[in-house]
Amino acid sequence: MIQLTDISKSYGKNAVLKSIDLTVNKGEVVVILGPSGSGKTTLLRCVNYLEKPNGGEIAIGDYRVQCKRATKKEIHELRQRSAMVFQQYNLFKHKTAIENVMEGLVVVKKLPKAEARQKSIALLEKVGLADKLDAYPSQLSGGQQQRVGIARALALEPEVILFDEPTSALDPELVGEVLSVIRKIAKEGITMIVVTHEMGFARDVANHVVFMDEGVIVEQAPPSELFHNPREERTKQFLKRITPELNYSI
Amino acid sequence: MKIDPSFIWTAFVNLLSAIPTTLLITAVSVTAGFLIGLAAAFARIYKVPLLSQIATAYVTFIRGTPMLTHLLLIYFGLPVLVDALSAQMGWGFKSSSIPMIWFAFISFSITAGAYMSEVIRSGLLAVNRGQLEAAYSIGMTTWQALRRIVFPQALAVSLPNLSNSVIGMLHGSTLAFTVSVVDINAQAQIVASTNWKFFESYLAAAAIFWGLTLLIERLTAIIEKRINLYNRGGVA
Repeated sequence: MIQLTDISKSYGKNAVLKSIDLTVNKGEVVVILGPSGSGKTTLLRCVNYLEKPNGGEIAIGDYRVQCKRATKKEIHELRQRSAMVFQQYNLFKHKTAIENVMEGLVVVKKLPKAEARQKSIALLEKVGLADKLDAYPSQLSGGQQQRVGIARALALEPEVILFDEPTSALDPELVGEVLSVIRKIAKEGITMIVVTHEMGFARDVANHVVFMDEGVIVEQAPPSELFHNPREERTKQFLKRITPELNYSI
Repeated sequence: MKIDPSFIWTAFVNLLSAIPTTLLITAVSVTAGFLIGLAAAFARIYKVPLLSQIATAYVTFIRGTPMLTHLLLIYFGLPVLVDALSAQMGWGFKSSSIPMIWFAFISFSITAGAYMSEVIRSGLLAVNRGQLEAAYSIGMTTWQALRRIVFPQALAVSLPNLSNSVIGMLHGSTLAFTVSVVDINAQAQIVASTNWKFFESYLAAAAIFWGLTLLIERLTAIIEKRINLYNRGGVA
């Protein structure tokens, strides 16, 4: 279970997150929606401590960190319980696909190389890249790179995988292959927090949808409820704007 | 004046014995300079209090003064310092026992460090922040991330400029003659003045320097090919 309590973050005078509380149960897929600048990516990055929250508490599983006085060691511990899939993939450029997946296993988890290799091959097979083991990121398409990114995150068997707009940098025709991989692993019961603009994906895969705006959680509900019966005015406006296909007026 | 082509060869053979001295000065100053440069670059990038100011002052002063001046400052300044310190601490150590070549080692390392710190800094800055974030996200410590992810990429980016520094130090090492270290160029001067065949001697010296430089260029090309496998070239 992931529990965020009273998380706040500001850059100078600009408050990006205002006392956010969020609970994600084990095995749940939570999708965070919101207009740009709403703080959804910042919130996700706070969970992995890529952004340092100004206050609040982060708990992943039974590990709790008070953000105000988190030590280096605590941050390192916390990071090992989550993994991030980035919008820009951020694969290690100087390493091949399989080396990217092995890196965390060998360096962080201290697995023997042969075992790490076996595991990495299995994971790359799972994301459909068995034939690209020795390709460098520069030799892969965006969709392939992102699938390596997902395999890299899966390898660490974290308690939660954080997806930061995993398909936003992709060509439209490559979005499908990445989403279907995420769908597949969601079905395996891996806890996920996903920031995305893919409404179809949110509808089908999420157990819970969170709508954020201006640094606060405006509304959260199961997708069927949030999409068809939003309570807050701000949510209605947002959904209307991003799902124009439901608006048939000319 | 008549040129004596056969003396070029005679001089050439005579100069070979000075190659190790030149290479030693170059190797020491480049290696120590790299380490100093790395430290200075890090201090500046991470804005380490005090250290970053010292590093900035060091880089601007050393790059703002000639290499020969560094050598002379070290040559005349260091012994005073060492003797004073030795007397204070009662070490019984005399600066006159320092071998001459050490003045070249020390001053050239300081020179190389300043130039190389900027090369290394540019290499480190060229690595995308996302690489570091990805390393953190899989649970690496800062040191692991730097060593395994950031350094190799920074090095690959810096390599062409680093080879420039190495060649610069190879050629700069000729200044060591000022403190009576006999390198290739100094040996050429000795051979020339004893035989009154200056042009021939320096031509031989030039040939050796060119040869050594070609060697460095070849070596860089090989390393570059190896560690740049992952890059399909920036603009090409």
